Formats: sequence, structure tokens, C-alpha cells
Amino acid sequence: MWRIQISLLGILFFIIFIETSVIPFISQGLRVDFFIGMIIALVIYAPFSRGFIFVIISTLFLQAFTGARLGYISLFYMIAYLGLDLLKNIIYLESFTVQFLIGASFQVFIVFLAAIIVGMDVFPVGIYSLMTGAFFTGIVTPVMVYIVYRLQIAYEPA
Amino acid sequence: MGRINTKIILLFIAALLILVLISLSQYGSSSAGFRYVREGYFFFHKAITSPVDVVSGLWSDYVDLVNTQQENIELKQKNDEMQIRCMNLEDLKSENERYRAMLGFKAAHKDFELIPASLLTQDITLVFKTAVIDRGRRNGFFTNMPIVSPEGVLGRVIDVTPHTSQVLLITDPNSSIPALIESSRIKGIVKGRGDGMLTLEYVRRTEDIHVGDCIITSSLLEIFPKGLKIGYINDIFKDERKLFSEIILTPCVDMEKIEGVFGISGNVADTD
Repeated sequence: MWRIQISLLGILFFIIFIETSVIPFISQGLRVDFFIGMIIALVIYAPFSRGFIFVIISTLFLQAFTGARLGYISLFYMIAYLGLDLLKNIIYLESFTVQFLIGASFQVFIVFLAAIIVGMDVFPVGIYSLMTGAFFTGIVTPVMVYIVYRLQIAYEPA
Repeated sequence: MGRINTKIILLFIAALLILVLISLSQYGSSSAGFRYVREGYFFFHKAITSPVDVVSGLWSDYVDLVNTQQENIELKQKNDEMQIRCMNLEDLKSENERYRAMLGFKAAHKDFELIPASLLTQDITLVFKTAVIDRGRRNGFFTNMPIVSPEGVLGRVIDVTPHTSQVLLITDPNSSIPALIESSRIKGIVKGRGDGMLTLEYVRRTEDIHVGDCIITSSLLEIFPKGLKIGYINDIFKDERKLFSEIILTPCVDMEKIEGVFGISGNVADTD
């Protein structure tokens, strides 16, 4: 169990590097969320206690790299985890298309929610940046799900 | 039953954690834990980027060597040309110094020390605009230290660790800077919009302002030294029912191309 958690933390640090250093270097207005893919994978393949604890810890790491008020990032991702945990028996989360749609829509949802909390108009954020970011988040979400799945079966073969 | 209990306990812990974090932020406190994360990330980032820098450095050195002879000839020619130009520049320099002394610029900025830094990370969200730079307390950075680039004001330090500093960029929706219009000396507050643009607030509708006017810092809060460029007026909206104009600014600094930045150290309080 610990080996999986440490490996997941390693992946988390790597995606923080990609999200905060590589992607802004490519385009300032582009943000791609790799973490939502990890959340979907944890909902599908890990027990609640393990997955939820990992999400709590990870959001504390992510909080260190944003100007958002303390607690908001944790709140957003925990809502996402709990929401997906409730939905996992209703929708087929293993489908790539579903993962793409969840990833893309979560990116839009999080920007809208953050903008509302800050009290700013959503559209000045840049609709093209938002849509491009949502598209790429949708693309990387199944990839992240697959990486976590491979990790899971490598350490804990069924 | 046991599984449900575990779920309830975890949800309770999560709710408590969020409440604690939100309460901490009400007091403007940034937890020491987040500082440790940024500090840890600094070494992680260096470990990843250092080999890349070494390889790219070796490659560029090799390319440099290949072109050295041709470059040497060209540089010798340029050197001759430059020497001639320098004679002219020396004259211009002394003239420039005279003007600067006349304007009192030098006297106003003599206490400043510029400490160079580079960007380490940028905000993970699209709405908030913060960055982490690779200089911290050990390099003389401190909370509320002004961060500038050669083009103008970039932001201020909001949190500092031994090796890193978190910077609130002027384009962040939480950023406010006391400012004035350079030509007319009208005062206002510059706020970030989150989309890369700025607004100048609390300027009366009746004031004479124009598109293209330069906005500079005022040292009202004693955070920024007076006279640093913030941006230019891009658009003005005047509504007869409102007391203040709505003024949109374009920042002087191109946020797409931030490279080297500087922290301003020294006493800024006596510059007003």
C-alpha cells in the first residue's frame, strides 16, 4: 500500500512540474489539469479510504502552488472525488469517452467556480484559453487513468 | 458497517480540514506546511531541470565552437564600429546623467538594490495569477517585496521560504496597488482582472483622462517605490449614473514573456 502511495506522490510531483513550469512556459494562458485523471482512477481502482486520503494529501500539495484561498483547492477536488464516487455505480467511468468528458467539463467547472468565488466576470478569463485547456485536460485524463491503473496492477495484481 | 464508519470519519476529517484551512486564510496566514512544499519543490525542480540545462549548455557550446571563427571575424568588425559609436554614446551618457539628476530620479532611487531572480512555477489555476521564483529569504527577499521587470511592475512577494518566494502578480484578481496617472497625477487603485488586463478604480468621472496615459506606482502603502510603470490606459467607460470611470489598463509587462525579474530591496518609504 505504501509503495503505491509513494509512487502516486511521485507522479503528483511530476504533474505539478508539468502544470506549473512546462505548460505556462509553452503558453501563459493555458492550464491543463492532470490531477482529475488520477482522481477518476482512484475512484475506480482504489478503496475509498485509500483514494480519499490520497486526494486530501495531494490537494494540500497543490495548494502550495496557487494564489487561491486556503482550502478552496482541497474543497474543489474533494467534491470531485465524492461526486465521482457517488456516480461510479451510475455511469461507466472506465470508458475513455466518459473520462474525456469528465476531465474537460471539470476544467470548465473549476474555472467558473473559482471566478464566482473571487467575484470576477468569467469571460474575461479568455474563452479560448479555457476551451483549449478543457480539451487538453480531456485528452490527458484517460492517460492519467491508465497510468494509475498500470501502477495499481503492478503493485497489487488482481 | 465498518466501511460506512470509515467513510463518515474520513468525511468528518476532510470537512474539518477545509474549515481549518479557510479559517487560517481569514487571518491572512499561510501555513508553514505549504512553505515546506514549495521549498521541497525547489530542489525537485532543480534536480529535473539541471541535467536539461547541462545538456543544452553543452550543445550550445558545441554549436558556438563550430561558428566561432566566422563569428570572430564579424565581432572584430563590429568592435571597430562600436568603438566609434561609443565615443558618441559617452557624450549622450553624460547628457542623460545631467537630465536624470535634474529630474531627481537618481536621488529618489539611490537606496534601491535590485536582486535578480527567475520564475520557477506559475499558478496551477487559470483564474489566479501567482508565481514562485527561485530566490528566497537567504537571498534577501521578504514579504511585500516589490517585484519588477525592466518593463515595469510585476507584483509583490506574498510568502517567502529560504530558497523560494511566492509572488502575487498585478494581474491577479486579489491584487491592488495604489497608483497615479503620470501626466495628471490623478490617484487611483490598480486592480487585476484575472485575464491579463488591469483596471484603474476610484477615478472620478469628471477627471480629464485619456487613452494611452501612463499609470505609475504611488508610494501610498510604502510597498512600491514611487514612479514605477504599471501600465497604459487602454479603454475608458464613463456612465453618467456612476461616480467613477471604468478604466481598463494594459500592463507594461508582457505576462506571456516574463523571464528575468528583480526584487527591489531597500527603503521605499522615503521616496514619496
